[in-house]
Amino acid sequence: MSADLVILALLAGAANWAFRALPVLLMKREARPGGVAARFLASTGPAAIATLFVASVLPQLWPVPRDLWPLAAGVAATVLAFLPRRSVVAGTLCGAAGYAAAFWALG
Amino acid sequence: MTDQTKGPGFGAGLWAGLPIALGYFPIAFSFGVAAVRAGLTGVEATFLSLVIYAGASQFLALALLAGGAPVLVSAFTLIAMNLRHLLYGPALMKQAGAAAPRRLAWAWAWGLTDEVFGQALGALARGQRFSEAWMFGLGLAAYGAWTGGTALGAWAGGGALEAYPALNAGLGFMLAALFLSLLLSILTRAALPAILVAGVATVAGTLMWSGTAGILAGMIGGALAGVLRR
Repeated sequence: MSADLVILALLAGAANWAFRALPVLLMKREARPGGVAARFLASTGPAAIATLFVASVLPQLWPVPRDLWPLAAGVAATVLAFLPRRSVVAGTLCGAAGYAAAFWALG
Repeated sequence: MTDQTKGPGFGAGLWAGLPIALGYFPIAFSFGVAAVRAGLTGVEATFLSLVIYAGASQFLALALLAGGAPVLVSAFTLIAMNLRHLLYGPALMKQAGAAAPRRLAWAWAWGLTDEVFGQALGALARGQRFSEAWMFGLGLAAYGAWTGGTALGAWAGGGALEAYPALNAGLGFMLAALFLSLLLSILTRAALPAILVAGVATVAGTLMWSGTAGILAGMIGGALAGVLRR
């Protein structure tokens, strides 16, 4: 195993651990309810999830749109499967199945 | 039997991690294939997944290693890509509440990837109690799929999933479907400004600069929109 690869992996991995774990371990004091920090943190979750959804579908829309019908089918299947029981697992699995079925049907 | 006073256990976390594992597997498999094609051994590819555990960073690491970039410059680039993870722990613990245990956070927080964070936050927003055992289960399902997928990809080489294009395509949509389901699960009138601003900022940042800049712009812009909301 090359020394450069080991050093690169250890530095990047240590930083990833620090980014993920240290804020949890060091954040001993709760943000004041209703304060700026509390509102920022409360909005971070919805903002992050919306960001990640947009970032995950954007490469199919720009710069060159591709597989738009499977994308539409996958989105529709996700929403329709989620709504009855509000199940994230059902929404995810049916969404992927819907996308795959449309991709296969359009060949 | 589930102990209701302690919140959901390890097994429930593993089950909740199933969609993430199914989404991670083909991406990790592709990484294993790409790593071997770039000249790494299967052990080296799996080592990168075990130690870095961040998808986009690992693909970039392959390009940097293959291009002969200086190791410190490469490391700084990979580290900068994952700055967004700084926000995940505090946001999760804010949702979990002041009494949430964090004694073992040094271990389970290693698994706080984008998808694990989203799944955990969605579960808490739907009223589930926080438990470190559940976080371990959720994180292990994702981590196992990531490292296992890499090892299998490096071992199998290219072409294994390409023989089943529809399956490959469906698995490729799995993470987008997961994020959409999570978004639906936390959708409220109060969260709408943060969600809309995040979406617009992500598109603008991506089109103007890069995908990484778009993700940072979306998260920070959306969170600031929540601060400004009365």
